[in-house]
Amino acid sequence: MKFVVNGRQHTSVASPLTTLLHVLREELGLVGAKAGCQHGSCGSCTVLIDGEPRRSCLTVVATLDGAEITTVEALGDPSHLSDVQVAFNEHYAAQCGFCTPGMLLAATALISRKGRPVEREEVVEALGGHYCRCTGYVRILDAVVAASRGERLGTMAPTALEIRGVEP
Amino acid sequence: MKAVGASLPRYDGVAHVTAASRFVDDFSLPGMLWAKALRSPVASARILRLDTARSATMPGVHAVITHSDVPNNVVGHQEVWGIAPDEPLLAEHEVRYVGQLIAVVAAETEAQALAAVQAIEVEFEERPAFFDMRKAWDSDQPHVTPDGNVYFYYPDQPQRQIRKGDVAAAFAEADVIVEGVYRPGAVEQAPAEPASALSVAEPNGRVTIHSTSQALYYSMDITARHLRMPIGQLKFVGGTVGGGFGGKIDTLTEPVTAVLALKARRPVKWRWTREEEMLCSSTRAAWHVEIADAVTRDGWILGRRTLTLHDAGAYMRTSAYACSKHTFHLAGAYSIPACAFNTFVVMTNHVPTAAMRGFGVTSASFAVETHMTRVAEVLGMDPWELRLKNANRVGDTSPSRVVYGNPSTVTTLLVAAEAAGVKLPPKQRAMTNAMREGALLPAHLVEQQRKPETHLLAWRDGRPALEGGS
Amino acid sequence: MAVHRGRGIAAIEYPTGMNQGGDPSQAWIKIKPDGHVDVFSGTVDLGQGSKTVHTQIAADMIGVPHEWVTMNNADTDSSPVSFGTFASRGTFIDGNAIAVAAYRARQRLLELASRMLEVDPEDLEIAEGEVSVRGAPARKVGVAEVAATASWTYGEMIVGSGAWMFPHVEPDKVTGECEPNAAISYAACVAEVEVDDETGEVVVTRLIQVYDVGRAINPVLVDGQIQGGAIMGLGLALLEESYPYYPDIAHRGPEFGAYAAPAMADLPELKNVVLEDPDPVGPFGAKAIGEMANNGQSPALIAAIHDAVGVWVTELPAKPERVLRAIDERREPRREGRRVVFDEHLSVATVSPPERRPEGGWSFPLVDVQL
Repeated sequence: MKFVVNGRQHTSVASPLTTLLHVLREELGLVGAKAGCQHGSCGSCTVLIDGEPRRSCLTVVATLDGAEITTVEALGDPSHLSDVQVAFNEHYAAQCGFCTPGMLLAATALISRKGRPVEREEVVEALGGHYCRCTGYVRILDAVVAASRGERLGTMAPTALEIRGVEP
Repeated sequence: MKAVGASLPRYDGVAHVTAASRFVDDFSLPGMLWAKALRSPVASARILRLDTARSATMPGVHAVITHSDVPNNVVGHQEVWGIAPDEPLLAEHEVRYVGQLIAVVAAETEAQALAAVQAIEVEFEERPAFFDMRKAWDSDQPHVTPDGNVYFYYPDQPQRQIRKGDVAAAFAEADVIVEGVYRPGAVEQAPAEPASALSVAEPNGRVTIHSTSQALYYSMDITARHLRMPIGQLKFVGGTVGGGFGGKIDTLTEPVTAVLALKARRPVKWRWTREEEMLCSSTRAAWHVEIADAVTRDGWILGRRTLTLHDAGAYMRTSAYACSKHTFHLAGAYSIPACAFNTFVVMTNHVPTAAMRGFGVTSASFAVETHMTRVAEVLGMDPWELRLKNANRVGDTSPSRVVYGNPSTVTTLLVAAEAAGVKLPPKQRAMTNAMREGALLPAHLVEQQRKPETHLLAWRDGRPALEGGS
Repeated sequence: MAVHRGRGIAAIEYPTGMNQGGDPSQAWIKIKPDGHVDVFSGTVDLGQGSKTVHTQIAADMIGVPHEWVTMNNADTDSSPVSFGTFASRGTFIDGNAIAVAAYRARQRLLELASRMLEVDPEDLEIAEGEVSVRGAPARKVGVAEVAATASWTYGEMIVGSGAWMFPHVEPDKVTGECEPNAAISYAACVAEVEVDDETGEVVVTRLIQVYDVGRAINPVLVDGQIQGGAIMGLGLALLEESYPYYPDIAHRGPEFGAYAAPAMADLPELKNVVLEDPDPVGPFGAKAIGEMANNGQSPALIAAIHDAVGVWVTELPAKPERVLRAIDERREPRREGRRVVFDEHLSVATVSPPERRPEGGWSFPLVDVQL
């Protein structure tokens, strides 16, 4: 099966029902896509296939002939972070970081599809099937909205948390 | 001071957003094998026969382990506190819960390992199981352990208990006695990353174990006991974990993969499936808390009695610890001078329960705080007022007789009211946590009041508290 | 046939460190010849941000920029003991161990700088990577220069090691008397809900949460715990259950779709306030937030449901079926003299009446437990 991963041609000799997740992690060493549940209900295995977010744990290589696959590794590196990566970092949208690659790709696809700043409700609609246990989702939503506005603060986003000292 | 108090960027922020953060499952080694487990399909049974001969010869299989491969099979998660070991790593004579580990295979692919698991022959003699902890003392219920279904903290006393003040007098004196039952259920920690371990038998006799454990040294200690090795012979690698919430303290993947790696002489990775995480790994315990409060018409809580049952599941894990912790917090944030608390660890044929965020206190807080709102309702009293007058103040003592130096319940309540847009009467808004006096010091709270110690702010001037506990 | 609004409150407290103590943590620190600081700790970062908080503590305790500090926590050959990342002990106990180690490294730095500046170490201070004479800031030497001089001129190493523990205590068997913790954090939660009396669904519209954490070493990370904890507490109260027919062992199911952990769509409005009432013993006055963050929601939400529709649901989760059943049944407590007895149908006495327990047991009301 021949397909393109992050702009590079790859030929896989894995059996037809091998999952793309397995091929990415074990054949290509691209471990950004995570094995969170392996039955499509957490989103941490999400990659883009022909620009669309797909669960790689449910995608078998037999369906990928000629496909263009984008993984989180292609979004950017520390010296050239994408808008979405910058926003996630500036808004502290990752705590343990395990769900983050899937969120980043789904957010990237959403923003690309809409082509304009998105509302919080649109993010919930598009990314609502992604599971996060650490953050409570708040800062992930903040980050995606900010990224859709092309915001690069160059500093950490201020927190709305109110802090008060207590009189002794 | 520049760093403390500042919302500095996460140390691992850029690593997280570039997927450079490495979790256990992201590590692969040459020749690495995959582990898959045979788990009990029944809640309670004797094992009559276990035969792994056929599975061991299947394609790709390098090792199959059962209880006989584990140098020290029965270990406990609280041995450091003198609680007897009770749990086999791999089942030997019996199984006590659905999902209990019986045998584990290491093979070149996951599919080969699964196929070999199917080929393991096991025969059970099922027997009745015990599930409802409220029947812990019923004479007709099956016993989960040889010693019965109730754990004994002391040879002659099963429960962890608090006895403070004169509870009988408090209940005799009360205008109203409010009683209720609280049953928070079992839930999953469900971190995004499933538990995983990767063990390598090193040429120098050591074992390197990549682990998702929340506590490397703690898990290393338990693994060392199973292997009968000194901890110096082990090296645990980890420190970056995809969420835990208490579910990655139980130490099973590490000793299993270590035994497999030593037998197969190849690295072995065991990555739990989400099915294993959901169905077989420890949950937060279900709790049963009965509360009776002796209260006055004007809203003083004179005394409290509690009965708590904790569903420990089939093995102790860390339940005795949780039930002690729970007991100390059954007065909640309030000064209750007469307390009789009784907490029992009950073994059942459920999946063993273990830590989850708040361990022991979550159930106490749910029970006692819901009960406070009920008491307010029964008395026809405002729930803010009831809480504010009973809230711990400087000099009040806890059920275990700790003197409160600086409790913040009054302050947090007042700030919460303000933030919620609730206008409290001026008298309440003026309250502080200062030592009780006058109207806030009724007769029944006098005896329990103590002079608190004054504490130096140990960390001031950049000097840390150099001695623990001082 | 209506949606009813309700509000409920809860005030909670939570201990720092393992119950009854005896859970030590250790740290050691070395300063490289360029002044950069390497911290070795056994603390596992589960996402709560210990790598960040601990390097902040080390940076300020020594007096160097945060960017100069590395965290090394990945293996037990180089990392010393941390009892574990649980029991809300990471910032307080592990943080204290790091503070002690950093303090000792700092003292060593000052001794060496005092040689170079020919001043008493007591008269020196360190900030932002520079050691200067108190009151005469122009007389200074960079931490980098001190470290280099230590390595290459004096042939010495700058290290500090530290440990911290609340000593183990055993409670009295009968009274339970003991001091189980070094510190306690406090919080209050106000929950606002809308309850549909036809479907039993509870929508959380707002959670107001106030936490006294002693000191927020990194405020946004504290906020992250409050946010994550709020949603987890919401799940515990309303959505999540492993065993829908508990005590029956039938499980909700192995998939996230079956097990209803909170999703993005469940997010209420959150209003978070942190109070800082410094603790005498915690590092820079910090206490803990990690676990307590999911404790206040269930009692506040159950109280809010009662405020909305007048029923008590004391079995969690308060899923729609339970709320509806409670609305249908409208159970009143049994009143007998001074006693107001709720939930009798759930009690041990009902499920397991005394005649089934010839060896003893207890009764409801709770007189002294007989065994």
